[in-house]
Amino acid sequence: MANRYDAIVVGAGHNGLTAASYLARSGLKVLVVERNDYIGGAAVSRELHPGWTYSNCSYVCSLLRPEVQRELDLPRHGLQVIPYESGATFMRNGDYFAYYSDHDALRREIARHSKKDVDAYDRYSRFVTRQCRFIKPLLMRTPPDPVRLKPRDIQEMLYLARRFHDLGPREMADTLRFWTMSVGEFLDDFFESDVIKAHIAGSGIIGTGLGVYSPGTAYVLLHHYMGEVDGSIGAWGFTRGGMGGVSAALASAFREAGGEIRTGSAIEKFLVNGGRVTGVVLENGDEITAPTVVSNMDVRRTFLKHVDSDDLSDDFKKAVRRFKIRGSSGKINVALDGAPDFIAAPKNAAFLKGDLHASDSLEELDRAYDDWKAGRWSQEPYFDMLIPTYIDPTMAPPGKHMMTLFVQYAPYELAGGESWDGPNREAFADTVIDKIERHAPGFRDLIVHKEVRTPWDIEREVGLTEGNIFQGELTFDQLLFNRPVPGYADYRSPIKGLYVCGSSSHPGGGVMAAPGANAAREILGDLGRQSGSNSVGRAA
Amino acid sequence: MRYDSIVIGAGHNGLAAAILLAKQGKSVLVLEKNAVPGGMAANGEIADGIQGPQLAHLMGGLGKSEIDALDLKRHGLTFAAQSVPTIALDESGRHVVLQGSEASFADGGAHPDAAAFKTLRDRMVRFADKLATLTQRPPPRLDGIDLREAASLAGLAFGIRGMGKTDAREFMRVLLSNAYDAILDEIDDGVVAGALGLDAVMGGHIGPRSPGTVLTLMYRSIGGGARHIPAGGMGGAMRAFEASAQAAGAEIRYGAGVHTMIVEDDRVAGVLLTDGTEIRSASVLSSLDPRSTMMLAGPAHFDAEMVRRIRKIRAKGCTAKVNLVLNDAPRIEGLTAGQMAGRLLVAPSLNRMELAFNRAKYGELPEDPILEVTIPSLADPALTTDGKHILSAVVQYTPYELKDGWSDKTRAALANAVITALARYDSGMAGRVTAQQVLTPMDIETLTGAPGGHWHHGEMIADQMLMLRPAPGIDRYALPLGGLYLCGASCHPGGDVTALPGCNAARVVLAQETRRAAA
Repeated sequence: MANRYDAIVVGAGHNGLTAASYLARSGLKVLVVERNDYIGGAAVSRELHPGWTYSNCSYVCSLLRPEVQRELDLPRHGLQVIPYESGATFMRNGDYFAYYSDHDALRREIARHSKKDVDAYDRYSRFVTRQCRFIKPLLMRTPPDPVRLKPRDIQEMLYLARRFHDLGPREMADTLRFWTMSVGEFLDDFFESDVIKAHIAGSGIIGTGLGVYSPGTAYVLLHHYMGEVDGSIGAWGFTRGGMGGVSAALASAFREAGGEIRTGSAIEKFLVNGGRVTGVVLENGDEITAPTVVSNMDVRRTFLKHVDSDDLSDDFKKAVRRFKIRGSSGKINVALDGAPDFIAAPKNAAFLKGDLHASDSLEELDRAYDDWKAGRWSQEPYFDMLIPTYIDPTMAPPGKHMMTLFVQYAPYELAGGESWDGPNREAFADTVIDKIERHAPGFRDLIVHKEVRTPWDIEREVGLTEGNIFQGELTFDQLLFNRPVPGYADYRSPIKGLYVCGSSSHPGGGVMAAPGANAAREILGDLGRQSGSNSVGRAA
Repeated sequence: MRYDSIVIGAGHNGLAAAILLAKQGKSVLVLEKNAVPGGMAANGEIADGIQGPQLAHLMGGLGKSEIDALDLKRHGLTFAAQSVPTIALDESGRHVVLQGSEASFADGGAHPDAAAFKTLRDRMVRFADKLATLTQRPPPRLDGIDLREAASLAGLAFGIRGMGKTDAREFMRVLLSNAYDAILDEIDDGVVAGALGLDAVMGGHIGPRSPGTVLTLMYRSIGGGARHIPAGGMGGAMRAFEASAQAAGAEIRYGAGVHTMIVEDDRVAGVLLTDGTEIRSASVLSSLDPRSTMMLAGPAHFDAEMVRRIRKIRAKGCTAKVNLVLNDAPRIEGLTAGQMAGRLLVAPSLNRMELAFNRAKYGELPEDPILEVTIPSLADPALTTDGKHILSAVVQYTPYELKDGWSDKTRAALANAVITALARYDSGMAGRVTAQQVLTPMDIETLTGAPGGHWHHGEMIADQMLMLRPAPGIDRYALPLGGLYLCGASCHPGGDVTALPGCNAARVVLAQETRRAAA
């Protein structure tokens, strides 16, 4: 029968496709259903203006776990990540701070701002690298449940305790401190230069409803650092052809393993019978049955919108409802007639090929957060601005450029209950463009086309609740065994056979594919199957 | 004469340490630069010769076991009012009375959030009880655990698990969460939420949205979180500490500032007073903050990394005190005389608190101040004469470093902001004020030596708590210089009048000195 599968994955985001690929490779008959007419979720490349391809949601790549890339053979399926090796923050005073991955170049540039900070940077980067090394092995493991305490949980807790203990007393204390402190205070410990702190601090707030002085943001910084490109830790890169390249490679791997993808197939609800999932019903009325169903959607959407309320306990629903998924950012994609001319930067400066910012102090970033708390988009927004066409010219016509702007902060709910649609969307874009215009006069005239995505747009188009890019805040109360809901951090749910594999679950967001791979491992374990993979098949 | 121990500072923690040491037969000398005991909990002149609680004005976290261990009851600790009600003032005039976990309107009417408030607060108190065992001993060690400690940690783990799965999971979820979410998940924002939130942030440079504020809320909820007004002001309670110390045989010298410590063979051997007197002792306990302590001993005696860690301790006070002398008792419509004598809060909502915190972050004066107010002379008429009253207001979110600088003008502006805020509830407030005293965080630093004027001698937030308090490596009271110990609020478990840092430190000193004597 056409509508019977071994497993259905709901949502063709990168985690859904990853989980689906592992399941298909173990020999299961797997179907992926996707609401949109295109696959990829938030990792897409779309031609929204003739000749220009936008990575219109996620825009850079680093976190995608190398284990997954290797095991699913993604390079053979077309994945190519090109590192960018620099970046800059433009300053109010007309100067800039450039970041280079070339260590000596970076030291010379830091010295231009503060001699003291040169050595501080070395201490800082050693510290962060040590922390990355500590946390990385945890990404591809299922968190233990410290309350249930089954043998697996005890074994996993002992593993964590041993790893922690191996750090030695001094490093243990530093680690505890680092995990609980704010990125602002963490950087104040090392640096004296405002612009250097501001340049680094962006990574501590991207995607969260927290400010640079909110405790816990030092961990968010780490979350953005633990990726790598070609073995270079902390490096970021562009995917050739845009972020859709990641999804295309995953889909290709999935199809090669015998998987099937149906786009334009929005789910109405999960079918549950006697506490067990039996399949899904699509919005068009089609019923598809499978004993295993995996949701790539965030937990709020999965359980509050697509599962009958009667099938879940009140306690579980309450826990899901209070899982914080806060919209804090917007996205602007711009087609440009030519390269913008930044006053501070020499033409063709190498750092223009990387991430560019224009927030030059922690206070500016903190004030941007205060606007968000009050229900306004930041009047002096932080943005992560990239021009990928410098490195990958295939994304725009010859001589033209594409710019992607990740903008923070933008609240999901505007003060006074105002709508994002209409004038507010334009005014939001203007706030950002005006700020760029101050650093690159004439920028506005270069704009051929722009796409403005408020938290509402991201929620509507991608299905991310509140437009939150991580499917849930990365705060302590929502990490490890608390993510997404205490007691269900193992990708399972109160409904037998229904699993979650999105960024709502451990280890969280970013185009990382770890939740998808971890969920697949748990599912295959429950089914008593081997995946033929080291990281996914490994006994937990 | 050579003492077994010298205690620097006759704050309540210094005195608590002195009492426990003296009771074990040690010869103890307490040195206090000011003329009265109590430090931040001392009485002082407010104005017009009226003495009252200058800084701290309520007794909260002092537990029964500490009161017993320190013999405070026997030495005169009495209360003018116990378990005073908290009155959450509402701009609408419908004030809310919080007594323990019960919430009702001041006129006796049932509050719609009463059930949710009770559930939430009872849970906090239950969780706090689990943490309480951690506060009465040095924090867990990171460098190898001894058997007794392992047993007690296992006890804690079983205790948490013993609450049942639901509670245990909730405990681990909210432990490092923020007060804003933890409270608003259960009740709507308003004065009740504000009252709970204030307990989470009082005295700190933190807003209700700052992660980690549930931990501070739990800290304040240990033992139920009741507040008392001591007879004779907080200074009255401090006299009980003083009397107990003297009865145990400790000697207290007032007006005795320490110039430097005497260090011989990498050990502290005593102190040199500012007047040139040299006093020798086997150990020195400092109730000052780590940095001042290090400076007295000389930073050269500490390795560079320890100096760096100590310098980096965050202690930026964010709480000022405005004391008013009133020619008449204030009246707030809708409150009984008993309620007026309670703990009055101006904390209209968590959102307003967060906004107030925003201003403090940027060094701006409070515009819409968040206040904890008591009128101690209502419960304790002996404090004043001629029908006068003292109004004591803690002003949360007053920056240590004001952008415009602290001057008579900005001090007056702060007092005005407080009086204006109070006038919303008592329109006659401004007319009753005959004198005022403004103590900014900077003034508090000058007066008491507390770094940054910080209540807790160091921010109470997860990365400076437990084994990270006051800094990694000096979390168990001993500094890396032989014979030198910390015993003040900068140490585990932290600030407020709990006497716990002092008691814990004294026990560590007794154990170590015994071990040293044996060796």
